[in-house]
Amino acid sequence: MSRVVVIGAGIAGLTAAIRLARAGLAVTLVSKGVGGLQLSQGTVDVFGYDPVRVTHPLEALDVRAAADPKHPYASIGREAVESGVAYLADLVGPDLLVGDPAANLNLPTAVGAVRPTCLAQPSMLAGACVDGASFVIVGLRRLKDFPAHLIAANLARTVLPDGGRLQARHLVIDVPARDGEIDSSGLTYARAFDDPGFRKRFAAALLPLLTHGDSVGLPAVLGLHDLQAWRKLSDALGHPVFEIPLPPPAVPGLRLNETLLTAARTAGVRLVQGNRVVSARVTEGRVAAVTVAQAGAAREYPAEAFVLASGGFESGALAMDSYGTLTETIFGLPLAGQDAGELVHGDYWGAQQPLFAVGVGVEASMRPVDAAGAPVYPNLYAAGGILAGAYRWSEKSGEGIAVGSAVKAADAIVRELA
Amino acid sequence: MTSDGLEFAGHQFARASLDHCVKCTICETACPVAAVTPLFTGPKFVGPQAERFRNGESVDHSLDYCSSCGTCTLVCPQGVQIAELNSQARAVMKSDHMPVRDQLISRTTLMGMAMTPVAPLANAALHVKPIRTVVEKVFGIHRDAPMPTARTQTLHGWLKKRPAPKKAPTRGTVVFFHGCAGGYFEVETSKKSIEVLEHLGYRVIVPKQGCCGLAQQSNGLFDAATASVLQLCDDLRSAGKGLTIVSSSGSCTGMLKHEAHEIMGVTDDRLKDVAVRIRDMMEFLRDLHEAGELPTDFRPIEMTVPYHAPCQLKSQGMGQPAVEVLRLIPGLTVVESGATCCGIAGTYGLKKEKYEIAQAVGKPLFDMVKATNPDLALCDTETCRWQIAQSSGVPTEHPIWMIHRAYGLS
Repeated sequence: MSRVVVIGAGIAGLTAAIRLARAGLAVTLVSKGVGGLQLSQGTVDVFGYDPVRVTHPLEALDVRAAADPKHPYASIGREAVESGVAYLADLVGPDLLVGDPAANLNLPTAVGAVRPTCLAQPSMLAGACVDGASFVIVGLRRLKDFPAHLIAANLARTVLPDGGRLQARHLVIDVPARDGEIDSSGLTYARAFDDPGFRKRFAAALLPLLTHGDSVGLPAVLGLHDLQAWRKLSDALGHPVFEIPLPPPAVPGLRLNETLLTAARTAGVRLVQGNRVVSARVTEGRVAAVTVAQAGAAREYPAEAFVLASGGFESGALAMDSYGTLTETIFGLPLAGQDAGELVHGDYWGAQQPLFAVGVGVEASMRPVDAAGAPVYPNLYAAGGILAGAYRWSEKSGEGIAVGSAVKAADAIVRELA
Repeated sequence: MTSDGLEFAGHQFARASLDHCVKCTICETACPVAAVTPLFTGPKFVGPQAERFRNGESVDHSLDYCSSCGTCTLVCPQGVQIAELNSQARAVMKSDHMPVRDQLISRTTLMGMAMTPVAPLANAALHVKPIRTVVEKVFGIHRDAPMPTARTQTLHGWLKKRPAPKKAPTRGTVVFFHGCAGGYFEVETSKKSIEVLEHLGYRVIVPKQGCCGLAQQSNGLFDAATASVLQLCDDLRSAGKGLTIVSSSGSCTGMLKHEAHEIMGVTDDRLKDVAVRIRDMMEFLRDLHEAGELPTDFRPIEMTVPYHAPCQLKSQGMGQPAVEVLRLIPGLTVVESGATCCGIAGTYGLKKEKYEIAQAVGKPLFDMVKATNPDLALCDTETCRWQIAQSSGVPTEHPIWMIHRAYGLS
């Protein structure tokens, strides 16, 4: 029997499960399917906008936590975020994540905006948008999600966060990822870039079009399993190369997800995929087991502690019915943030929709609390997207909240069960 | 559309899951077939996407290249029944031109019944190249595709002749479901499963039983498959009310647990009754262990062995019970394959137009198996074992063989 059950296989669930297993606890991770991490850009946001662009995310989150006690960072705290980010970086290693949590990077997006993020994949670093940079953005004729012209033109007309400017032009080349396919996905290209023969053909087609001093911006498809593929391409071209993340299938997100799943398996986490957790059994005020809707017959997973890392509305962890009633769908936990007036207002280009900050409130050990601030169950913890109080996509705080809360919850459980 | 099964296909609850699709592409990234061929446009394309344009008829015929491995449904975080939708749409698409080949290869019991009396002859014939070439030309079954080895004795033949079990039952009664392959071809796996259950103290009833209809279902023959699965439910129910049913045939267990219901819309109470009672062999042992009721006095086996969890087992959503139980054997190092699929997907990899794709799908697995232990691999389902053994050259057994050995029974 497992001592801890983690619900959800996103970045929060995986991080918590690995940390618990490495501390010697038997852990089961249950999930409906693959977690949301592989849909991400494969970078780690800690704090990007508050609401103006943030340069030093750790300092900024401290300020925010002090000003806004309902924000997840107020209960997680700077120390846990630092430790969570360092833990994740260490888990996946410098071939996959680099950067300094004290300072944000500014990297180009697939529409040519300049996005602040904290840790990035090493294959992205040469795309840092700093004064005097000179980029050539290279599109692929058969990959439709990478508008090279738009990206280059937007970057070239943008005043950068450091006040400077960069130069950018664009090129489009046609090197098929595989025969007979006119509309290839980024993933198909990434698999092709794993192949040295393809990289050679690609470099041969691109090299004559480059000029001295160009840093080459490419869609983030430079290898799926070979984490050095981008470096080898850069060596073959004799130019710095950088990846710009695409919409899903997002290859950098896939790399991170695969690496964390492998780490979870290696740590001995029991992975049970394919089932939705549908309910919980509570005995004497404690969560005794969760029930999953397994093929054939429902099955209970008992444990001593539980981590709810099930996400938010997007994953079905939170639901709103046609009367506007909000529910946390497994435990029926009390939800914070419902008192913010009209939860969905009609001004879709205007202020935030308060609905998206609804979630569970937690205390310092990451246990969900009731309206009075008391833990609902002594052995239930929450991490990641389910936490109330943040607009993750506009703040760019999703991964920081996830790893900070995951590490804090895991450590509290280790202390409790030791 | 002519029948209840096909009427259901495309209109019932798999279709209702369609609107849960957020187009995240997770299924596309996990699909083992789309990864190796541009002939299949991917589960999202032919599934939730194309379904919106279907009015009975499929617009995208690349659907036929889906192997029905079920990986897309397993990985979908939104609960869209992608594999089910695609299986249904394919059945409808093929309904007016069902190849003779597909009708033939889905009759597993018939093959076993025909081959057992002439086992040495049948086995020899399957290895004669000119014969296989003719079979490929006439029926479209690839000449190099794996074929089962016929046995001279069926499981029921053995059961009739063997002496009564030495140990008196101490734990009550279970029903054993062996599937067609376990009755005719994988007879040793069935014997070993029964012997392990008896060793644990169970009385094992093996009722006369037919085919679950899985191969017919995956080939789109829904009427025949529905009749088969319900007949099987009657067979299994005849052994006694409320008894746990244990099976060493992983894919047939999946058919009974969920596929007959979710793909063909079988809502019969007899199926429901069997579905809640049936356990995969290794799942049953894992559950005993979880309950503290599995003796772990295993003999040490000093060996490193690759284990591949078949798609049909993964889609039952129970984790990897075989790995958990095997790891209780001292000295045994079990290496998970990490591979999505072996390629065969029941009868997919037998077909001449799909053989190369199936081989490409399974290649990372074959390489991994060879590199891990050239003498033995473990896998829970029959056709996957035949595929791995044929394509890697590594003998492949059901995990119960290892448990049988570790209990000192062989």
